[in-house]
Amino acid sequence: MMGLSIRQLVRQHSEIGIILIAILLVMFFSTTSFDRWATAYNLASIAQITATLGLLALGASLVMGTGEIDISVGSTFGIGALVYLGTVATIGPLPAMLLAAAAGAAIGLFNGFIVTRFGVSSLLLTLSTLLVFRGVAVALTDGFSFSVPYGERSGFLYQLFGGGDFLGVNTGFWWLILGLAVLMVFLYATPGGSRLLAVGGSAESARSRGIRVTRVKVRAFIICGVLAALAGTLEGGKLGFADGGMGRLMELQAIAACVLGGCALLGGRVSLVGVVVGAFVLSAIQSYLVVNGVRPQWFMLLLGVIVVAAAISDRHLRDWALRSR
Amino acid sequence: MSVAAIKKSPLIEVRNLNLHFGAFHALKNVSVSFEAGQLIGLVGDNGAGKTTLIKVLSGIHKPNSGEVYFDGEKVREFHPKLAIKFGIETLQQSVGLCDNLSIARNFYLGREPIKRWFGIPFLDFKKMREASTKVIRTFGLRDNVSADDLVEMLSGGERQSIKIGRAVEFKNRVVIMDEPTNHLSVREREHVNELAQQMRDQGLLVIYITHDIHQVHKLADRIVIMENGEKVTDVAKHEMTADELEEVIRCGGRVVEKASEVAPS
Repeated sequence: MMGLSIRQLVRQHSEIGIILIAILLVMFFSTTSFDRWATAYNLASIAQITATLGLLALGASLVMGTGEIDISVGSTFGIGALVYLGTVATIGPLPAMLLAAAAGAAIGLFNGFIVTRFGVSSLLLTLSTLLVFRGVAVALTDGFSFSVPYGERSGFLYQLFGGGDFLGVNTGFWWLILGLAVLMVFLYATPGGSRLLAVGGSAESARSRGIRVTRVKVRAFIICGVLAALAGTLEGGKLGFADGGMGRLMELQAIAACVLGGCALLGGRVSLVGVVVGAFVLSAIQSYLVVNGVRPQWFMLLLGVIVVAAAISDRHLRDWALRSR
Repeated sequence: MSVAAIKKSPLIEVRNLNLHFGAFHALKNVSVSFEAGQLIGLVGDNGAGKTTLIKVLSGIHKPNSGEVYFDGEKVREFHPKLAIKFGIETLQQSVGLCDNLSIARNFYLGREPIKRWFGIPFLDFKKMREASTKVIRTFGLRDNVSADDLVEMLSGGERQSIKIGRAVEFKNRVVIMDEPTNHLSVREREHVNELAQQMRDQGLLVIYITHDIHQVHKLADRIVIMENGEKVTDVAKHEMTADELEEVIRCGGRVVEKASEVAPS
């Protein structure tokens, strides 16, 4: 009886696994880092990293939900940061943020259009747009970095977009909470969300019910691009400067957060809470390594191991949960 | 009753339909009409043109020549959306349900009931749950299945039941069942066949496509046999026995071909 209800819980909430892992890690990190990890300052810094990675991963998870994949998010993130930082001093934070979001939307539209119109594999296409827009970012900065003069960093709007704190945490964190809430309502309580998951589950069946599969996919790519550019904006606002390498390898972390959070790589299953917790776990591990003086290169190795382990254990957990009722 | 039947034009009428796929002549001058409240067995071997005919009716293929009338009105444009709008629902074995969504969500997929708050459309979960629970209970799914369960938990027969329930619930006029009992257990097959008859009794036009003439002869009011893109037989059930019909399928249109195949060797 007990086993049965746990199975049901796991079946309906694929984020359970990552939440358990997060709790265990927090306990482990707090007890083994000699009070260096669980400090208010460090936790706030983890919250900020979680925020940018989380927004990036949330967008990627929606595309993944439709059965496609967007690995160009790392470059979109960089473009978003550069557009914001390059224009904020002249046109002000709000228009600069909107411009960055528009750039992200354009990249998403381009990805979605090519994938759906020409039937190109999204893995292949977004791999090339990853390279293309990384190239654009490097060309834009021409080896230098975009930065915002200190005098411009004190305005309310500048602080609102990642440049300051609210209630002791970077404002980016509150944007993540807002984004998560809005997307959860969208995904679980609106027809659009149902259709997105339907397309990922079985595009043919969705089409037979009169759903415009192409439109659903393009929309997911656009939302993904916007969120990636916003995440770049928040990170750019936080740092105050960015170069052409901004967001490099972030795409891998974003995809990792999705898989860790219980999203199915082939589409049809998205857990937004899981994705954010996944982003938190990655940020927490990264921070643990930093405070313990481990060289950051080890994080990349660990990241790879974690993703494979997550994929395997997710599969097992899922199989177990689906086994006869 | 009889007066009304005379006045009414057939629900679907097809006249001199021709369809070519390149050099392949898939439908050859097919004329047939179907009335509401009938269960039609559409029978024929693979490649006989059954599915092609159905795809014209459901708006997927456009014929090269010939006319299609829905309820006396000529169809001018062939598009799945228009067929759906007219009330034609096609049930295919492997298509129509998304495994990853709940029964309730699948039930209303593509035409979700909504409640607007501040202009934003939200799913009307209460309505979705009620209607799909009703179908679960009426269409003989297991007692412990709930509207919130994922479709991947269901058996093949239960899936068919959901699709049939959906077709009935949305007030369709025509339900086309393409090989509805493939891969089903014996009991599930009987259940699906019962449902087909129930829909007919409710006044729907049911077109039942199958290879199995013996099975459909028990259910149908009329049998239409197709062969090589032509309609070869169109009889009321009582006019011919299942064995006679099977003989027609065995010989119909293929006799000459077989002879020529054998001759050279």
